[in-house]
Amino acid sequence: MPLKLKQFLDDLLEIMREDYQQQLQEIIKDARGITCLQTLDNERAVIQIDRRRIKISGKAPKTQINVRITLSRNCLFEILEGRITLEQAFYSKELEVLGDPVTLLRCYRIWERIMSLARTSARITFLTYRLR
Amino acid sequence: MGLYLIEDTAHISSFALPSIFADRLPLYKEWHDFVFYDRRKHLFSFLNFGVYGNPYDAKRGYGLALLFFIDQRGRTYAEMKTIALRDLQVSPYSPDFISEDAKVLYTKSNNLFKIKSQIGKLACDLQLPVILPPVSSKEIFLDVVKMHQTINLGMTRGAMEMSKLWDNWAELPRIPVSGEVTLNGTTVPIDTRTGYHDHEGGRFDWGSTWGWDTGVVLCDSSARKEPEKIEFRFYRWGPSDKLSHGGIVIGPRNGKQKYFDSGNIHIERTGRFSSGWSVVPGITRLLYPDYHPDVPEKIVFSASDNQDRLDITFTPKGLCSIVAASVCGESERVFNEMFCSATISGHVGDTVYDKTIPGWFESVRPRGSVKHYAVEA
Repeated sequence: MPLKLKQFLDDLLEIMREDYQQQLQEIIKDARGITCLQTLDNERAVIQIDRRRIKISGKAPKTQINVRITLSRNCLFEILEGRITLEQAFYSKELEVLGDPVTLLRCYRIWERIMSLARTSARITFLTYRLR
Repeated sequence: MGLYLIEDTAHISSFALPSIFADRLPLYKEWHDFVFYDRRKHLFSFLNFGVYGNPYDAKRGYGLALLFFIDQRGRTYAEMKTIALRDLQVSPYSPDFISEDAKVLYTKSNNLFKIKSQIGKLACDLQLPVILPPVSSKEIFLDVVKMHQTINLGMTRGAMEMSKLWDNWAELPRIPVSGEVTLNGTTVPIDTRTGYHDHEGGRFDWGSTWGWDTGVVLCDSSARKEPEKIEFRFYRWGPSDKLSHGGIVIGPRNGKQKYFDSGNIHIERTGRFSSGWSVVPGITRLLYPDYHPDVPEKIVFSASDNQDRLDITFTPKGLCSIVAASVCGESERVFNEMFCSATISGHVGDTVYDKTIPGWFESVRPRGSVKHYAVEA
C-alpha cells in the first residue's frame, strides 16, 4: 500500500526538522506566503508556508492558493529516476504547474533545495519510495 | 612484490567497517568496483556496490548498487539503487554485500566472487574466480619505489594526501568473468579474461577531495602482442594538474614491470566527448537540465625516460557520470566512469607496442570543472 500524500509531506517535514533544521528555516524564509495545492494521482494536500512554519492540511480557501501542482505517481518517479526531463513532463501534460512566474521561481528554489538534500539523505530517498 | 596470497582476498576485500567509537562515522564510505569487457560480445561493464554514511545508524547510513553497461552499439545502460541498512548485509570478515536487489558473495573455499543483481531492467549473474593475489596500496608504493629506485617529493606528497582520506585500497589486477548480463530483456552470455576489481574506503566528505584519474587497460594476457597489464593512477590534492602525482605501470610479458613517474609523463586532453552517456542518480537531470560531463574526446599520456617510451591515447566510447554530493557543504564531485579504447604505441625494453585495447578510465573531479579539468582556485 503506497504512502498517502499528506502522510508523506508530514513525514518529510519531520525528517527536515530532525536532520536539516537550518535548511528548513531557509526554506520557510524563501517561501513565506506560498500556499500550494499539491495533487498526486487522486490525492490532494495543501502546503501553507507562513512566517514561522510549514503547515500541511487537506484544504484551504481558493483565494489563498497561489500555486497548483498536479502529477501522477508514475510521472513523479519517471522524473526522479531520470527517465524523463521536467521539460518532457510539462509538454506531455503529465505535470501541470499553475501560478504566477515570480511565485513559481520561488517554488523552484525550494524544490531544488529539497532535491539537493535528498541526494545525501537516505531517509528522504526511502520515504519518497514509500509513495510508489 | 607479493605481500599477499590469493587466500587473503577474503580479508583484503572485506568491508573494513569502522569501530562504533571511531570518529567521522557519518563520512564513512567503502565500495567494490568490478570492471570487465567481453571482446566477443563487445560489452563493457562497470559494477559498484558500496556502503555510505554511519553503518551503525540505520536511519542515515545506506547501501548503493550501480549497474552500468555499454553494448556493442555503444548504447549506455545505467541503474542505481539505494538500499536501506536493515536490508543490507556487509561485514569485516567477508567481501560479501548482500541485499535483495544486489548480491556479491565470496566463497573462501574456491576463492570465487559471485555477483547476482537485478535493478530495473538490468541484471547480471556472474562468476569471478580469483586467479591472482590481491594488491594493496602499500604494495604498489613499495613496488614503485623498487622500480623507480628513488623516492621523490611528489610520491611522498601523493601518498601522504591519499592516506589523509583513505583507510584502505586494494585491487585484483586481473580477474576472469563468466555468466550473463541482461539489458532490457536481452540476455548476453559473458566469458572474458579481462576483468578487474578494486575495493576502497575511507571516512571523508566528498567536498574534501580534489579527485583522481585511475584506470586499467584491460589487457588479455593470452594475446601475444599485449602486455600483461597497464595501470595508471594520478592523485590530486589541489585544483591544477601540478598539484597531483602518480604514474603508469606497464607489465611486459617478461615478468618485469616498468614504472613511469609523473615527472616523465606529459598529459594532453583535446576535444569534447560527445558519444553516449548516462548520469546517476537520475535526480541529477532534474537539478541540472543542461548538465554535460566535462570529458575530453581524447586523453593522451606520453611517457618517456632514458630507455623507454610509451604513448597511450584513451578515446572515451561511453560514459557514466555519477554525481556525489557533499554532506558537509554544497560542493559536489563527479565520477566519470569511461569505457575507452586505448591505443598503445612505443617500446619498453625490447618489446615494441602498437595495439588498440579496451580500457577503463575513472576520472573524479569537482563538478563544474573547467578546461583541462582544473578548477579556478
